[in-house]
Amino acid sequence: MDHAMRFAEPDSIEEVLSLLAADPEARCLAGGATLVAMMNAGLTAPSLLVSLRKLPGLASIDPQADGAVRVGAMARHATVAAHDGFAGAQAILAAAARRIGHPAIRTMGTIGGSISHADPSADYPTAITAADAVVEIAGPEGARAVPADEFFVDWLETALAPGEIVTGVVVPPDATDAAVHYEKFTRADGDFATVAAAACVALAEDGAVAALRVAAGGVAPTPIRRREAEAALIGRPLTEDGLAALGAALADLSDPIDDMRGSADYRRRLLPRIVGRAVRRAAAAFTARSGARSGTGPQAGGVA
Amino acid sequence: MTAELDEDALVPLRVTVNGRAQALACGGGETLLTLLRERLGLTGAKRGCNQGLCGACTVLLDGQPVRACLTVAATCADRRVETAEGLLRGARLSPVQQALVDGGAVQCGFCTPGMTMALTALLRAEPRPDAARVREALSGHLCRCTGYVKIVEAALAAAEAQAQKGADGAAAGDADARAEGAAP
Ligand SMILES: Cc1cc2nc3c(=O)[nH]c(=O)nc-3n(C[C@H](O)[C@H](O)[C@H](O)COP(=O)(O)OP(=O)(O)OC[C@H]3O[C@@H](n4cnc5c(N)ncnc54)[C@H](O)[C@@H]3O)c2cc1C
Ligand code: FES
Ligand code: FES
Repeated sequence: MDHAMRFAEPDSIEEVLSLLAADPEARCLAGGATLVAMMNAGLTAPSLLVSLRKLPGLASIDPQADGAVRVGAMARHATVAAHDGFAGAQAILAAAARRIGHPAIRTMGTIGGSISHADPSADYPTAITAADAVVEIAGPEGARAVPADEFFVDWLETALAPGEIVTGVVVPPDATDAAVHYEKFTRADGDFATVAAAACVALAEDGAVAALRVAAGGVAPTPIRRREAEAALIGRPLTEDGLAALGAALADLSDPIDDMRGSADYRRRLLPRIVGRAVRRAAAAFTARSGARSGTGPQAGGVA
Repeated sequence: MTAELDEDALVPLRVTVNGRAQALACGGGETLLTLLRERLGLTGAKRGCNQGLCGACTVLLDGQPVRACLTVAATCADRRVETAEGLLRGARLSPVQQALVDGGAVQCGFCTPGMTMALTALLRAEPRPDAARVREALSGHLCRCTGYVKIVEAALAAAEAQAQKGADGAAAGDADARAEGAAP
């Protein structure tokens, strides 16, 4: 079956795109952590593997003039996890990358491969949704940029058209300088999430919530957010009731499945707990950070 | 992945395995694990799950642990691969290997080469890890026999032994030592 599988490792995007355009059975190869596992299981047998490893500029993480950070599609999870150039909410990418799989998976897997595969239990889709990141795409029709919200379309389905590839993820600057927490519930260390939540929180001097973004993963065909429920918590101290309302809003929108990581019902019940924990921990991190910076900082984030 | 190849799809591959430069040819979709085990006869890396889950196939690629079962061999061009075989200095075991033997951390041994490579990478980067760091490095390495406790203890003992031998531990990372270790 695989005996005729061909391999190419071009050093220009144009060549990658023309190889993909010429052969609908060709697949691009990033870290291989998902694609090769599927090949080994007999689930797919591309005619041609187009390795993205030699493309210039795809593996780096680059600050932009406006304070955004561009993470190249071939940046490895370990590289993102260790990157210290993220500011505010941008750091949710590093927090999520640290929780992906095991050390060997983090040296192999890439952000481009992870989001292109679009498993809703994977960690990056949830993180880039919370960060309001924008996915950079190159294709036969040219380049375009798609917000994370619109990039994830359905279970294992993205806005990528045939022959298009992800070239990078642009994470916008965060004027609120939020602190982040990525809360991941798994049955075993290094597994995909049963439920996960990515939270970015900034507090005002008086401890009221100044900014809040929360995305949840593992609970629907794509990552989910409830922006109006986030907005409802702004300007007031964090309370258990407020967090419960946010959790309930997300649970309403959720559409989980039954699988070996948990039943749909279990996930729906777990979701508000994980969301509450993510927000409280991000708020606590914000408080600790401003305390460390000023020696005083705002009051603790309301709920312990 | 079988080792039978279609001539048309062969990819030339120059790769350094355990310090020795090799000029090979591999199939387009062939994994590094197949290349090592079936073409080079290096059976240290084991095929457990072939899905990235068990860790038995873990080798070092440019010094970093990767799953050989998920690594397309052709992407290893001009890179360095290290397997458990390459850690031998002549007939002498590396400090990690010796500590695993001495500590009774090997039972059936199926997981051992993968564990060994993960621990080797850890101790090169962090000569004195604590037990928590060792456990983190071993996450994704399944052992059906030992219960892990003796493996963690052996890793800490290896770190201790390396520290006592001083600069000797650092030599594990240097190219001469690797080339010597790979001598047949
Ligand atoms: C044991 C194990 C545990 C894991 N645990 C986790 C976990 O806890 N959390 C988590 O989030 N993930 C986990 N993963 C997945 C891992 O993080 C990989 O990142 C992910 O599988 C895909 O990345 P890759 O670079 O390996 O992509 P590949 O496997 O190379 O590619 C995946 C798919 O995306 C396509 N593709 C790749 N790059 C691009 C691109 N730039 N543009 C368009 N299409 C592209 C490929 O054609 C393929 O269809 C785990 C994987 C394994 C094997
Ligand atoms: S054989 Fe590669 S991880 Fe199990
Ligand atoms: S010693 Fe048997 S699997 Fe680890």
